[in-house]
Amino acid sequence: MMKEVRYRFNNLEDLIDRVHALFARPDVGLPLPPEDEDLRYRVQLTVHEWLANLVQHARFGNRLPSIELTIRCNGREVECFIDDNSEGFDLNGRLETNPSIQEAFPERGMGLHFIRACTKKLNYIRLKDGRHRLIFTMAKDEDPWLDIPF
Amino acid sequence: MHNPSVMSFSVEPLNAETVVIRVGKALDFRNAAEFKAICQEQVQNGVRNFILDFSETGILDSTGLGAIFSLYRQVSPRNGQVVFASVSRPVQVVVQLTRTYKVFRQFPTVEAAQEALQQT
Repeated sequence: MMKEVRYRFNNLEDLIDRVHALFARPDVGLPLPPEDEDLRYRVQLTVHEWLANLVQHARFGNRLPSIELTIRCNGREVECFIDDNSEGFDLNGRLETNPSIQEAFPERGMGLHFIRACTKKLNYIRLKDGRHRLIFTMAKDEDPWLDIPF
Repeated sequence: MHNPSVMSFSVEPLNAETVVIRVGKALDFRNAAEFKAICQEQVQNGVRNFILDFSETGILDSTGLGAIFSLYRQVSPRNGQVVFASVSRPVQVVVQLTRTYKVFRQFPTVEAAQEALQQT
């Protein structure tokens, strides 16, 4: 049985804190498998990295920012959507031109690699209403690995 | 980018060359610059060994890890070390993802880390 929750945020200033508060409160009832704590933290990390990208780089023009987070789980696989009304981001182009981390001990530019490494499926699309959507899935019992030159 | 909701770090000197940094709730894109500035000041004062206490840390993101890499780049030419202590589960997930346990030794407590550094 698929469980789903959806939250909307409009303030970039406290977005990160409010989203982490959702993950920290057991009474919120996020549909994540309770027996796989690491999966919960990987979902939280991936959501954080994408929101950090939005907070730091997205352009909303004169629109009130609108970020919508949807989390679904069928008990074994988690699917997340993060919708936003920014001008968008060339995620696919960035990942194609920068497929792996080349620099040893990099100080910047690891966020998208974190996201790709953590996720099983990853897609970024423009919705019919003009908003953009990051879609990713993760499954239980995975041990993802990001190759960083040391 | 500074965010007042992210608590500042505390620094506890153990000796002239070693400090403990209590990372607190988060080391992420909002306070990584502050972390780097604090570490830079310590390095300029002769500190080369850093014990990072992650016991209270719920968020370590890619920018936060980059700040730790920056610290490592500064101290490793001086035969210094950066070690992790009391690593929380969310931080352990990042360590596991990035395999940084190959670079940063981990200890169950700050005291255990201190003892190990005294022997090297």
